[in-house]
Amino acid sequence: MTLRRRSVRPAWAISIGAGLAVVGFVGAAQWNSSIDRQQFTTSAQQVLSAQVVELEEEQGTLRNEIAEAEAEVQRFQEESTTSSETLSRLNDQLTAARLATGLTALHGPGVIVEIADSQRVVPPGENPASFIVLVDDLRDIVSALWASGAEAVAVNGERLVATSSIYAVGASVLVNTAFLSPPFRIEAIGSDGLQDRFLAHDAFTGRVGQRIEFFGLEFATAAADDLQLPAFVGNTRFRWAVPSEDAT
Amino acid sequence: MRSRAAQLSLFGVALLIGLLLVGQLRSQARPTEISTLSAQELSQLVQTLSDRNRELRTGLADIREQLREYRVAGTQGQSAVEVGREDLRRITAFGGLAAVEGQGIVMQVSGALDAIALNDLLNELRNAGAEALAVDDVRVTHRSVAIQGPLALVVDGIEVGETFTLRAIGSPDGLLATLERPGGIIAQLEQFISATITARAVERLTLPATAVDLAPTVAQPAD
Repeated sequence: MTLRRRSVRPAWAISIGAGLAVVGFVGAAQWNSSIDRQQFTTSAQQVLSAQVVELEEEQGTLRNEIAEAEAEVQRFQEESTTSSETLSRLNDQLTAARLATGLTALHGPGVIVEIADSQRVVPPGENPASFIVLVDDLRDIVSALWASGAEAVAVNGERLVATSSIYAVGASVLVNTAFLSPPFRIEAIGSDGLQDRFLAHDAFTGRVGQRIEFFGLEFATAAADDLQLPAFVGNTRFRWAVPSEDAT
Repeated sequence: MRSRAAQLSLFGVALLIGLLLVGQLRSQARPTEISTLSAQELSQLVQTLSDRNRELRTGLADIREQLREYRVAGTQGQSAVEVGREDLRRITAFGGLAAVEGQGIVMQVSGALDAIALNDLLNELRNAGAEALAVDDVRVTHRSVAIQGPLALVVDGIEVGETFTLRAIGSPDGLLATLERPGGIIAQLEQFISATITARAVERLTLPATAVDLAPTVAQPAD
């Protein structure tokens, strides 16, 4: 009996002790990180950070409202297809135009490319920026995908259209209107062999491929049988350009 | 009883660990990333997001106006056809399927630009608010990308010589200010690639429609 008691009590006591040690470690880490943020974040940065969060929230609301309004426009057009042959033909043209320009959600076979910051410890004397995903890496990947025959591309769910840009703010990235953070997931729909063509293309091997190798950026690709890409959500109304009547 | 006490204790500890881990992971996610940006970067981000949100608000107002027109037109008759035709003109212009015209800039580029440099230039123009672009007579679409061909750069299957014209429709002041700022794309290309780039505002530009069939062959509309 005595032996059994001795063997039971230490077991759960050790478990609790180990658990509390983890609690202490995590708690200390969290406390330390909070202190770091307080130490290195100026009040101006705090104000600006709050503005960024606010603007992102506003953007989310605006994008939802645009998506809803666009869907309503399409409902109007679909409802009117039965009313006349002219309207029916016009709506077929609208459907085809939306499909060709990135304004329709698509599905199909393709490739998924994921890239994230390197997990390597930055050696002394090296530039830490070399070990994170740069905007150039994303541009190269997207260029290589288009050049390899992709029909549609999205970066972290942001569908690329004719006016899309991939832009850097510090180490962060803006695609269309959205502020994105790593890891980055680039999805592309295209014909058989898209993954192989992409990996062999100069636009990939020339710069980003080398950075992946040299700096250990986390990188993976996978072929996919049926990818789902969202439609572009954003402003499609031009301010400066108008359809031309006399050009070819 | 002792066993139940042990289980309860373990449950409590596990719960506490979970809560702390969630807190730690959250603190390592987006907020930390934003807070690691410098005040200058944050200021730039605020400006960029504000501009983008303004564009979205304008776009939303336009869609609502279009909806209002549809409601007025009803779902039948000539008015609905007119609203639909206007929408088609807008979408085909947006995607490069139709020719467009408007104010903008013309750039004369001369030098041994590589594909990356030309793609960067196009990206910079888009980011500066260019609504439509053409390299020589090739209209740039979402699928257009400069690649290195056997003899020269190629955009949409058309060779681009060492001297070419880049046309962009958009706010001339905004486009020129972005391109010509100190340390901007023109300064970078002139320094690193020995390119010569001139840019000037133009009152009226006409850019052609793309010659490429953009209809997807593999991708299908999602339900």
